[in-house]
Amino acid sequence: MNPTLPYTDAQTVTLAIIAVVLPFAAFLVNFLLLGKSKASGWVSTLAILASTVLAANVFFKVWNSPGIHTQQVWFTIGATKVQAGILLNNLSVLMLLLVSVIALPVHIYSTAYMKDDDGYSRYFRYLSLFCFSMLALVVVDNLILLYAFWELVGFSSYLLIGFWFTRESAIIANKKAFIINRIGDIGLLTAIIILYTQFNTFDIQQLFGDKGLIVNSIIANGEWTGALGSIPALWQYVAFGGVFLAVAAKSAQFPLHTWLPDAMEGPTSVSALIHAATMVAAGVFLLGRVYPMFNGTELTVLAVIGCFTAFMAATIALTQNDLKRILAYSTISQLGFMVMAMGVGAYSSSLFHLATHAFFKCLLFLVAGIVIHQVKHIKDDNNLDIDPQNILHMGGLRKKLPLTFIAAIIGALALVGLPLTSGYLSKDGILIQAFDWSDNKGGILKLIPYAALFTSWLTAFYVARLIVKVFFGEFRLQKMNPHIHIHMGDGGWQYKLPLVFLALCCLFPLFSLSPIFYEDAWLYKGFLQANFLARENMYHYIIPVLVNILSVVVIYFAYMIYVKRNTWSFPQTGMLFRISFNEWYIDSFYNRVIVRFVMWLSNALYWFDSKVVDGFVNLLEKIGIAIAGIAAWLDKHIVDGLLHLIADIVHGIGGFARRFQGGKIQYYLFSMLLVLITVFILKLIWT
Amino acid sequence: MNILTLLIFTPILFGLVILLLPSSLRASFKYITLFATLVQLCFSIYIYLHFQTGAAFAGINHEDQFQFVQKLPWISLDLGGMGKMQIEYFVGIDGISVTLLVMTSLVMVIAAIASWEITSNLKGFFALFLLLDMAVVGVFCALDFFLFYTFYELMLLPLYFLIGMWGGARREYAAIKFFLYTLFGSVFMLLVMVGLYLSVKDPATGNHTFNIIHMMNPANYIEGSVFSVLSNATILGMPARAVGFVVLFIAFAIKVPVVPLHTWLPDAHVEAPTPVSIILAGILLKIGGYGIIRICIGIFPDAALSGAFWLGLLGVISILYGAFNALAQRDLKRMIAYSSVSHMGFVLLGIASNTAEGISGAVLQMVSHGFLSTMLFFLVGVIYNRVHDRDIYNFRGLGTLMPRYTVYVMIAFFASLGLPGFSAFVAEAFSLAGAFKSHSVNGLLPYWMAICGSVGILLSAAYFLWTLQRMFFGGVSLKGGDVWKVALTDINFRETATLLPLALIALILGIMPSLVLGKINDSVLALIQFLQLK
Repeated sequence: MNPTLPYTDAQTVTLAIIAVVLPFAAFLVNFLLLGKSKASGWVSTLAILASTVLAANVFFKVWNSPGIHTQQVWFTIGATKVQAGILLNNLSVLMLLLVSVIALPVHIYSTAYMKDDDGYSRYFRYLSLFCFSMLALVVVDNLILLYAFWELVGFSSYLLIGFWFTRESAIIANKKAFIINRIGDIGLLTAIIILYTQFNTFDIQQLFGDKGLIVNSIIANGEWTGALGSIPALWQYVAFGGVFLAVAAKSAQFPLHTWLPDAMEGPTSVSALIHAATMVAAGVFLLGRVYPMFNGTELTVLAVIGCFTAFMAATIALTQNDLKRILAYSTISQLGFMVMAMGVGAYSSSLFHLATHAFFKCLLFLVAGIVIHQVKHIKDDNNLDIDPQNILHMGGLRKKLPLTFIAAIIGALALVGLPLTSGYLSKDGILIQAFDWSDNKGGILKLIPYAALFTSWLTAFYVARLIVKVFFGEFRLQKMNPHIHIHMGDGGWQYKLPLVFLALCCLFPLFSLSPIFYEDAWLYKGFLQANFLARENMYHYIIPVLVNILSVVVIYFAYMIYVKRNTWSFPQTGMLFRISFNEWYIDSFYNRVIVRFVMWLSNALYWFDSKVVDGFVNLLEKIGIAIAGIAAWLDKHIVDGLLHLIADIVHGIGGFARRFQGGKIQYYLFSMLLVLITVFILKLIWT
Repeated sequence: MNILTLLIFTPILFGLVILLLPSSLRASFKYITLFATLVQLCFSIYIYLHFQTGAAFAGINHEDQFQFVQKLPWISLDLGGMGKMQIEYFVGIDGISVTLLVMTSLVMVIAAIASWEITSNLKGFFALFLLLDMAVVGVFCALDFFLFYTFYELMLLPLYFLIGMWGGARREYAAIKFFLYTLFGSVFMLLVMVGLYLSVKDPATGNHTFNIIHMMNPANYIEGSVFSVLSNATILGMPARAVGFVVLFIAFAIKVPVVPLHTWLPDAHVEAPTPVSIILAGILLKIGGYGIIRICIGIFPDAALSGAFWLGLLGVISILYGAFNALAQRDLKRMIAYSSVSHMGFVLLGIASNTAEGISGAVLQMVSHGFLSTMLFFLVGVIYNRVHDRDIYNFRGLGTLMPRYTVYVMIAFFASLGLPGFSAFVAEAFSLAGAFKSHSVNGLLPYWMAICGSVGILLSAAYFLWTLQRMFFGGVSLKGGDVWKVALTDINFRETATLLPLALIALILGIMPSLVLGKINDSVLALIQFLQLK
């Protein structure tokens, strides 16, 4: 577009490219040179460290500037020149920085966390590949490249979920993750193809820019008219549907969320980076990239689905016992909040929440990793047959893992959204704007903000349950097996440093000088649309108060139930409990209905293929053989038979006549006499 | 000496050498064959590098724009009052053929390496192999219909014996099925060819001609002849040109193969030895696609445009039907055979769209599938050679036993299912983009076809990942127990040397599709322009 960038911009672009490519270089070095060497961990970590520094550099240069866009021709197909390039604006540099800043502590943590694993270097290979794909995803400037890296992050996630590939559950989980993401991918591909047909370009800036093609296209009279022509308006909705599928798959929104809880089969550090903080946020990022293409109805769909997902996942998280699964559902729930925020027009709050969530969810997963690791050590040391991730075995760990406990508390408070944390700022923004939005909506849409509010109390409850069960009370494993040998601790600096760093990032000062008002956060301001009107109304005061007071009540209630055991406790048999515990039966529905139907269909078609289509060919063969048989019979008995008949007749006559010429005179005389007598007799009869 | 002629006849020269050598030297035959294919590869790389691009070298319907042309009178009979019979040895290439030619030469090298597994009757095998090599290269170069047909039929003979003599348990059934199926198509093609010959006159000499490029120009048709655009002749009450198109299409559709004419393919693949499977999937199927573009659409553009809907429909059906069938297989080779049906459906869909994106995507998909299916069948051969079993359910945990092998399997599977970064992705995406765009550009295909086609991409993920999960991951468990465990050694140097270049090519073409698209683009644009002109 602008081949001659100013020198400083060109420099920034170069830095961004290096930041993106460094993890890939680490991947190559690990893959080609290092083999199984333990050095691979540090190669990857140094690469991501350098990426982080560069990304920060790029971030400060680009943030709140007009942005940089540079590209060059990648290939030409027909008359279309497909460009490849870099688009740096607020959204992409924020993501660039966020991904590398989250990835760095996870890398450091992983060097310790994975050190005893046989696949240590393989792990870092995959991790670097993921970082490369994710960083590239956020800076590329066209939809084809976006799609390419979109799928590559899915692929690296596939590799990492199935990291322990001899474990049956892991490989089933990664297959499921990839296939469900594939559904999203074909949605995205369809949307890209529709946009390409309509606008003849893949360029994100041209399509979704301020005065871009999308903004200037109109839907009227059932036609969607852009600069280059028009197609039926239906396809605008199909394109939205495609984007929605992509978002739902990657960001685990209903109905494509079921892969994420299973994805917890991967190493916990991977869950922290990919399945909590970065990759799953890619869907929300995509929404941010293509935001101008949605119309009112479509935004409402996003709001409803996001809100429903948030609520559903929160209810499921209430009853799960697997530490990572609870966190996974809480991730789904928080992603639901972000999607809902996009739907209600809280664009900047959504991205703000994306950023804050990345820190506190990553922190919570790293905490979970430490806890699971410690329990697993106990399990291995004492040959216990337990699930190290089950929170029912834990309890009272706050004394044994003090630093981990503090980190967990900070992360949990941020997740609940209590004041002084970053989560408070971002979540309140979403809730307030949801109420603002519902003011001029009618009917069932009025319920959306209330459902979101209710969900945030549910969040408070399940988070409190989690923390209380893990860190408070007494260590139930020890209670059940009093003789076991226990040795646990927070671990070395590779564990402690990431926790401290992330915990600090979960507090308000990183984002805003004011701990109370989300409008003051720099990140929030960075994404405000030009036409945004700040509205001051009572929601801005009521909602935070309502959320926090009730949250504190809920947390106290949970504490009473699970630690003191002196109040009412949940019935474990009710229908609601079963729905929640069985994850709303969504997965079993998919397995029993959809998977079974596809398998049935494929078997039926194979039967059709081998019996009918090929049967027809074989029938032709049989008919051919039968006709040939008939022809052979005809040939032998009729055609050849006639010939044989004639030959036989001739032969017979010959044989008969031959006797007349035997050379015996008596025969000659006899036959002459016979002829004469015959002649005379005939003559007598005649006359 | 013309380089295309060299390219075509190099293999047969070496084939003659093999025939003349005594059988006591049989160990050298595979090296001679490999050398022949390598020489051929060098020629084709030379051609690729010296192939010029630009609108002046587009080819398609301009004889003077073809490159590396050689034109010699071949059969020239004076028929008295009926004029002169003019059959030429006429070879030349344009953008459509050049990339397929390079792909063919490379696949042949791989097939030659895969022939190491052949142990019986080596002289016969390698002589037939090289004969086949000559025929397929000839098909891509021939611009005279008679010559084209000669090469086309010449492929059948070696293939019949290669499957029938060196194949698996049901080899005879498969060989005869394959032979008759293909022959069925080509016999009728012969009739259309003769009809075209009688309809077309060489504008320069005034004789009837088999020149394909002359057949593309409506002005060369004799007034009132059966295939003349203006005469509106009918055959059995149907427009003659539509009948001609359909007959040619069926002949090539059998090769592609298009559902429902595909059932020879799984049988032929399953029974064929690995090198023959590689040639079948890698090259033979592309001859179908190439024939549709060059012959069917080139000679009958009017019929092609009016029949585009049905072509597209068949393409979509092939994509989905092949994919569902692949999902139902338990024989690894059969699964890959059905996946070929599915992937070749994209080729047909792209061609049917008659858009630049679609046709470029289709050609790219042919090139890409040439390499990927070669890789897939080679990989099946690796495991089959070791334990003589291919049943997916009989293996588990191969990833632990054969880690390097599994890496290549994953590369081949993910490249085939269209992971970006590999060639199939760009090809399939643009075939679909072309199919979708078609409605807006030329109104030939409805929008939904592209959407249905994209479901094939989803299903391909399902069957490939299921196979990965079932066969390669999990704990080690083999039907053959410890005997298999010993037999299943990881890939050796020869196999790595084969697989690595294929994987790299798939990767390079995915990152730089311009390597193919750059060469074909002018021809594709010329073809689109030609179609619009009719």
